[in-house]
Amino acid sequence: MINLVQNEMTKLMGKRRFMIIAIIIIVLLSMFTYAQSKEAESILERIGTTDWRTELQQQIVDMQNRLSSAGQWREQFQIQIKQSQYYLDNNINPAQPGAPTFIRGFVQNSAELFLPLLVMIIAVDIVSSERSMGTIKLLLTRPVSRFKILLSKYIALILSVSIVIFLFGSLSYLVSAVMFGNQGWSAPVLTGFSSQGGELDISGVRLVSQWQYIIQQFGLAWFISVVVGTLSFMLSILMRSSAAGMGTMLACLISGAILSNMVSSWESAKYLFMVNLGLMDYVSGSAPPIDGMTLGFSLSVLAVWMLGSLIVSFTVFMRKDIY
Amino acid sequence: MHSKKVRFLTIFASLACLLWLFGLGWTLKDYLIGKPSSASISPSTDEPVETTEETSVLKIVALGDSLTRGTGDIEGKGYVGYVSDRLKAAGKDISLINLGIKGLTAPLLADQMKEKEVGRQLGQADVIMMTIGGNDLFLGGQTLSDVSEASIRALEDRYLLNLQEILSGIRAVNTEATVYLLGLYNPFSEFENGEQLSEVVRGWNYKAAELLAKDAKTVYVPTYDLFQQNVNELLFTDHFHPNEKGYSRMAERVAALITGAEQGGQP
Repeated sequence: MINLVQNEMTKLMGKRRFMIIAIIIIVLLSMFTYAQSKEAESILERIGTTDWRTELQQQIVDMQNRLSSAGQWREQFQIQIKQSQYYLDNNINPAQPGAPTFIRGFVQNSAELFLPLLVMIIAVDIVSSERSMGTIKLLLTRPVSRFKILLSKYIALILSVSIVIFLFGSLSYLVSAVMFGNQGWSAPVLTGFSSQGGELDISGVRLVSQWQYIIQQFGLAWFISVVVGTLSFMLSILMRSSAAGMGTMLACLISGAILSNMVSSWESAKYLFMVNLGLMDYVSGSAPPIDGMTLGFSLSVLAVWMLGSLIVSFTVFMRKDIY
Repeated sequence: MHSKKVRFLTIFASLACLLWLFGLGWTLKDYLIGKPSSASISPSTDEPVETTEETSVLKIVALGDSLTRGTGDIEGKGYVGYVSDRLKAAGKDISLINLGIKGLTAPLLADQMKEKEVGRQLGQADVIMMTIGGNDLFLGGQTLSDVSEASIRALEDRYLLNLQEILSGIRAVNTEATVYLLGLYNPFSEFENGEQLSEVVRGWNYKAAELLAKDAKTVYVPTYDLFQQNVNELLFTDHFHPNEKGYSRMAERVAALITGAEQGGQP
């Protein structure tokens, strides 16, 4: 089994996908860090001080002003205002400048779309490419069961996802540490906000160190990526062409991003996997796309989708005629 | 059979996988099951609130309603933005925080000032600019249909009471800063009841100015005269807020007062 997995890893390495992913991450990172340092500059120019309390107070007032014209974002704004006010009242800087804070924000923003896309690069042709290149026949004529072959591919996929997340984390650390410095790992972060029906519940709020928060975030990001990877894995078995699988998965992810912004009145949409990818939002305390969704709920929905697609993957792969 | 590189990568990936699994497990434990793994909030004292800001910077705090926010200005600066532009052009080093909120009335402003951070900001300020009262008097245009003396008097009394509270609130945290209160103009002077309303606004301004006169460092800045002629050219399309021309006229006046006071204050 270990040999089979290593065999798959060799193939993945041969495709140089990790290189491509690393390059994509670095290019995006350099743009984001640059944008962020520019933003800090413009705030400094506008407010004229580096005191974070002044900056946060200004942000709160700015949000209060947008409330009246916020429309459907009203609830989101109200929660954000209360949260910021809570930080302010407890004298905790929500954005201590430094690499950890940047990583925290970057993971938060990439977990729903960017990381799944990177994972897709690996997952989407893991089986279909063998079919289109004809190598699958060689693989299946070996004296190993089909189940084991597919399992080794799946394990290799999980390992690759872990590598991608690791690449993501270490690269963003390296780049942001150069740009913003290394301080702030033990800075306090407030967590445990929960929002139900547009009201911010602060009863469960507690302080955690930033490094702990980041590890937890990465755990969630990994889970999201594994789920998306598993779904792409299934598509790669069901569809002959990698492009078709990629297109389908992309459509799902993007529709998820759009749906999360407008499904609040279509309640049964909460059983769709793509609406549940915003796991980070529960931890950071912003309002869920549909009232009543919680971290546990989203995790279970995602787990069910993952299990379902695994079952489909294995049954189809073991019964399918290969020619 | 497999190259060292692949073996290394596989082992490395497995370790990474374990790390992320650990992170996920930790999250589950903290957020779903049982007690979270950290202490609850203790007021952080590691960072003393610094009160000694660098003295070369002129710290400006703007308080008030939509006029302070800059509603009606295409660039969204409002008189606050233009004042800051003018001061910067004059070579002043300033820091500016704009706490204006659209639709604020005097009682709401008095509430806002009770916030801890707002109080701290006011305490550090060298200059405080304010517009308040427009929403208390005009009630979003309602007053136009009822300019009877009794109803105006009621509005006025309530406003003056709140204004007094706001001013003493400022003085409670900051005895040094100069406070500039910008007075009201009559946006409806060309309307049917405009003449009557102008009289009301003048009376309102007079009383506010009288109230401010009790404190030497509180300056009442009239705007009524600025908008007396050609009012429509200076107003935004909503016929209530100033446009960029109107704001820039207001700013001219305030900026001149601030620079004048600064120069006079120097030895």
